[in-house]
Amino acid sequence: MKTTAVFVFLFACTPIGVQAQTAVQQRAARTAPTASAIPAPGQFPPYKAPHMADGKPDLNGIWQAFVAADIDVQDHDAQAGPHPEIMGAYGAWPGGQGIVEGGEIPYKPEALAQKKANAEKRMVVNITSDPHRHDTGDPELKCYRPGIPRANYLPFPFQIIQGTDNIIIVYEFGRVLRTIYMKENDPEAPKEAPADSWLGWSRGHFEGDTLVVDSTGFVPYTWFDRAGDYHSDALHVVERYTPASPYHIMYEATIDDPKVFTRPWKVSFPLYRRMEKNIQLVDFNCEEFVEKLLYGPYFKDPSK
Amino acid sequence: MANRFSVSCGALATMIVAILLTPAFVAAQAKSAAAAKAPAADNKTWALPHTPDGQPDLQGYWTSLSFTPMERPAKYGNREFLTDEEATQIYKEGVQHSYEFTFNDFGDTPVYDATVYALSAWQEGVAPNKRTSLVVDPPDGNIPPLTPEAAKVREAFRRTGPNQDYADPNAPVKADTSTDLNLGERCLSFGGPPILPGAYNSDFHIIQSPGNVLIEYEWGNESRIIPLGGGPHLAPNIHAWHGDSRGHWEGNTLVVESTNFRPGATFQGANAKTLKITEYFTRVDQNTIEYKFTIDDPSTWTKPWSAIVPLSRIKGPIFEYACTENNNDAVNILAGARAADKAAAEKAKKTSGVPVSQK
Repeated sequence: MKTTAVFVFLFACTPIGVQAQTAVQQRAARTAPTASAIPAPGQFPPYKAPHMADGKPDLNGIWQAFVAADIDVQDHDAQAGPHPEIMGAYGAWPGGQGIVEGGEIPYKPEALAQKKANAEKRMVVNITSDPHRHDTGDPELKCYRPGIPRANYLPFPFQIIQGTDNIIIVYEFGRVLRTIYMKENDPEAPKEAPADSWLGWSRGHFEGDTLVVDSTGFVPYTWFDRAGDYHSDALHVVERYTPASPYHIMYEATIDDPKVFTRPWKVSFPLYRRMEKNIQLVDFNCEEFVEKLLYGPYFKDPSK
Repeated sequence: MANRFSVSCGALATMIVAILLTPAFVAAQAKSAAAAKAPAADNKTWALPHTPDGQPDLQGYWTSLSFTPMERPAKYGNREFLTDEEATQIYKEGVQHSYEFTFNDFGDTPVYDATVYALSAWQEGVAPNKRTSLVVDPPDGNIPPLTPEAAKVREAFRRTGPNQDYADPNAPVKADTSTDLNLGERCLSFGGPPILPGAYNSDFHIIQSPGNVLIEYEWGNESRIIPLGGGPHLAPNIHAWHGDSRGHWEGNTLVVESTNFRPGATFQGANAKTLKITEYFTRVDQNTIEYKFTIDDPSTWTKPWSAIVPLSRIKGPIFEYACTENNNDAVNILAGARAADKAAAEKAKKTSGVPVSQK
């Protein structure tokens, strides 16, 4: 019955479907919402976010993106993952529609070549006790901080915690954490990044109900996805978190890096509120899963 | 920031074990704490601040750095408090000298010079403490005896655990694989709860939302999210590196109960299955939170015990601490051990005249 109803409503939205409305559909209507109540993807009815006691929009909660952008922020087919001979479907990577507005990332020609080289060497890991450890390999593979905006579309939840002067986002992936400094002229939070970091130096403010976060001061080591999309230390990210319903935030990030791209470009996707009863982040302390990958060459060879 | 982790692995290892294992952990040093303290507040006119939604406000940057030993030195007998003179003297010694604690003789071995690692700037804000020990219960200021079973476990860990026996500086370092390293060297955990003084990086940040209190430690940017909603703990089969915490307010005191600890990552090697830690955060003035914790693990200690650590306000912010991204310790310790293996093989070859296979 349920399946029938869903089918009918999907069908009813098309011009041909209108002709197919029958007694079956009318019967279904008694137990299911009307066709007009099913939201069209990408469109939210007007919404005003709840506000906290201090009057600021309330974004607290556990959120997660459901896009395949961590594989590739651009349109891509499903593909076999590493070692399909043992990993099979466990290790295969899902296809997905891109999150890049306009479809293409506006790389400079030489930067596009670098992106391709990155992708080819995404699993080449060569850990040394100097910064050359960052020369090759996808940081995600190594359990390194995923950078911004990638942290927001990894297939893991994250929690927004709004304090009085700061917002902290805790990501389940690696339990990494970023602080968004919200207070103007905060003597404890310089305007400029005091040093480069993996998750950048973030200052935020509200424009209406939208949380706007401006981040600079990035190390040049993080990637946007497993496809080798990357940036330099000139990265500047402006994120906008707009509450779209009690259960959704529309997220967009404008990415600017004149060393790598010919112009700023934008990604956007919804974030979904995790609604499981008693939902909380659990540990994904992935350091323990990458030790042999990172340090294996320095392990004792048991055969010797 | 990130590269700070590349400082002495020995010192770091010592501190990790101190946090996880040592009965009498003494915090180290600050160069000029008095000068670096947060702005003085007039406590006569001080009123407990509240968050916009009405919770007592604990938000801000704090340090647990302390010169007070965990357990009461014998010379103080039953005295719970120092005289003003004694407290001032200990404080002065603490901020003027650097120490490297050893397992034999905590606090009395002034060889660790914080300035070598440019750490003094982070070690600001510690305040004098009149207590003779952090432990306040039992009243003798000493952690109760271990149960016989726990004593056996601890001894075994001391002999065979990661970076085994720090009591013997000549003991060979076993570093065949990463699992021979301790949790801090592996960037897996820097310990806690409870919140204790560390030799450095004792700083942390508290923020409060209407439903949660978040504690971010500078060390590794590790965090604890403490829900206030009164829901049940995680199911017993889910473990958390810093325990699973639930908080509620009792008057002006935030009470946090933690369980679901991860085996192998518990405070002083306690039994993850039976360990329960209760923490009490009470803001007593502009620059101080009185922090008390109670350790209850009947399979490890013969009775519950409690300690009080003063938390002092410091100036923020706390920077990113990218540990695994810059973990030179793991590389250098393992590579050093392989070099030692090779040297030993060469030596054996010369001694015996029999060729040994080489990499």
